[in-house]
Amino acid sequence: MTNQLNAIERLAEVKQERMQKNLKARYAKEKRFQVYGIMSICLGMAFLAMLLGTIFYGGASSFMTSEIKLTINYDPDVIGVTDLTDEDELKWADWRGLLSTSLAERFPEVSGRSAVRQRNALVSSIAEYSLRDRLLANPEKLGTSEEIWIVADDEIDAVMKGQVDRTVPESERRITDLQLSLIDSLEAEGEIRQKFNTTFFTAGDSREPEQAGIRGAMIGSFYTLLVTLLLSFPIGVAAAIYLEEFAPQNRLTEVIEVNINNLAAVPSIVFGLLGLAVFINVFHLPRSAPVVGGLVLTLMTLPTIIISSRSAIKAVPPSIREAALGLGASKMQMVMHHVLPLAMPGMLTGTIIGMAQALGETAPLLMIGMVAFIADIPGGPLDPATVLPVQVYLWSDLPERAFVAKTSGAIMVLLGFLAIMNLLAVYLRKKFEKTW
Amino acid sequence: MTTNTNDELAQIFEGWSSTVGKPTLKDNARMTTRGVDVFYGEKQAIFGVDLDIGKNEVLAMIGPSGCGKSTFLRTLNRMNDTIDICRVKGDIHLDGDNIYDKKMDVVNLRARVGMVFQKPNPFPKSIYDNVAYGPRIHGLVTRKAELDEIVETALQKASIWNEVKDRLDQPATGLSGGQQQRLCIARTIAVSPEVILMDEPCSALDPIATARIEELIAELSENFTIAIVTHSMQQAARVSSRTAYFHLGRLVEVGATDKIFTAPEHRLTEDYITGRFG
Repeated sequence: MTNQLNAIERLAEVKQERMQKNLKARYAKEKRFQVYGIMSICLGMAFLAMLLGTIFYGGASSFMTSEIKLTINYDPDVIGVTDLTDEDELKWADWRGLLSTSLAERFPEVSGRSAVRQRNALVSSIAEYSLRDRLLANPEKLGTSEEIWIVADDEIDAVMKGQVDRTVPESERRITDLQLSLIDSLEAEGEIRQKFNTTFFTAGDSREPEQAGIRGAMIGSFYTLLVTLLLSFPIGVAAAIYLEEFAPQNRLTEVIEVNINNLAAVPSIVFGLLGLAVFINVFHLPRSAPVVGGLVLTLMTLPTIIISSRSAIKAVPPSIREAALGLGASKMQMVMHHVLPLAMPGMLTGTIIGMAQALGETAPLLMIGMVAFIADIPGGPLDPATVLPVQVYLWSDLPERAFVAKTSGAIMVLLGFLAIMNLLAVYLRKKFEKTW
Repeated sequence: MTTNTNDELAQIFEGWSSTVGKPTLKDNARMTTRGVDVFYGEKQAIFGVDLDIGKNEVLAMIGPSGCGKSTFLRTLNRMNDTIDICRVKGDIHLDGDNIYDKKMDVVNLRARVGMVFQKPNPFPKSIYDNVAYGPRIHGLVTRKAELDEIVETALQKASIWNEVKDRLDQPATGLSGGQQQRLCIARTIAVSPEVILMDEPCSALDPIATARIEELIAELSENFTIAIVTHSMQQAARVSSRTAYFHLGRLVEVGATDKIFTAPEHRLTEDYITGRFG
């Protein structure tokens, strides 16, 4: 034998030493990778916390509102109405007078045009209408008086929430020294309070921040999503089943497939323009209506649902199909009895993700007029309406300080709905999931 | 003797005329195939197979991987229909009915020619629903009691009744592999087929489960005609009465199982059963 060692034998001598070195490097690499991963997760979490933090910090105050206790005397002379059933008389009624009389009684010391105007601005400028509604609902109150809590103006509300800096000169504040002193005296008597803002959840939009609510937008979103779901789920699932199980594999189906994938990436505003051109200009469907919004969002959501449904169908093991066909099931029975139930969790997940996208969509709805100022709460999918994200957009544009908080409040409600929908997706997946 | 190279095989099949042995039966045939060619696109997978399957016999089909035995089996209940590029030529008759005839309903055919697959494939439903599925979709029963009876009988014939009778409403996927395969057999016989095709039914099972399935095949042959594809020559020898040897898409030799395994006539058959290739 030669005493020259071959390559393998030479390797055996240095193997352990080299491997130790290499192993160390490998473990270090692994550790580094883990650290990168943890760091990126932390970064993501930090940004999420920042986002949620600012929204909650800014939005929490929108869930509270201020009220002032006033003694209201439903004096027919002040209102100028003797018969509450007389439409003509009601037309000229001075509901504002009820408030100003009551405030004058509470603060008799205030006099002079400017001072009286400042005093009257303590309460919401449209609080008089709630008084009117109250009296019309209880006509026997005419001529009597009662103590009730009246919604304060949003500027007063800001003082109560500590958002006004009293040290700045009067000319640079939206609130006068006189108003501040009146608030202080009310507070000393316990005649001004903060309470949960039910108006925010029960009222439609308004130009007055203290009277503006998101109910209109919530109902609008509900109808829009209802239309979207009712159309996109059956159409999407049917398309996915046909393409996956029945369509022949040829050039045409390939073209269709590529186009569906392309549609998923089309900017949503393009769908809005399409909706405007087709649904409104050609079919003359009503402008600003959830039904048109739902149609547009259906077009936008369909590719998502079709793609996720197809992959859910593809994931059903072929052995199950063979078993059904081998027993003599027709193709339709195979799909309905076996493929569809097994693919359902995946389809539902895709649908809910698509719905969540649709819930947060703004741009296409601007195109079809759902951006209009609508104070009424829609009564059906054909009524003019707006939706939550558009409401956020509208409020974020307004100058009043109180709308800043309302914007964040509306975002919180929107995020709440998104969280609920995602939880629903998890629940449905768990419920329908079967193992094989 | 050395292993055959592809060139040698090509030479052997050059003058290919006919199968050695007795592929056809005079009478007593349940299924007959004449001149069956199968193509996957341009590629031909089966070349002119003539073969009869007799009533209540167990016919084993053996051969090396890729020899076309599974493809041939799947033409017998038209499972190949599901593959777009697959074309079948030639005549296949079941009790005198041409199964590739336009008038033949494939749903009806598969109710007459059942199939058991390589991997146990119970539906992710209850044991009862698995067996009841066939009778239900074909509308074979009118009363619940009748269905109960069919399910029980099918499970008994598949010798799994005693193991599952107390848990019929439990998911079939919770059974062991061997139990699942016997359940699949019960599911197949619940529609009372004339022929049962088995495509390597034991290849995913352990030896004990395999032995139980083999016993079961022997019992089932009293009532049903069985065609079984298998990789295991021992299994073919144990369960079948006739054996067909396939090679490169040709049916090389058919004969009584005893004879094929003791005195094969064709050189390729001999090479295969003595383990020279495969």
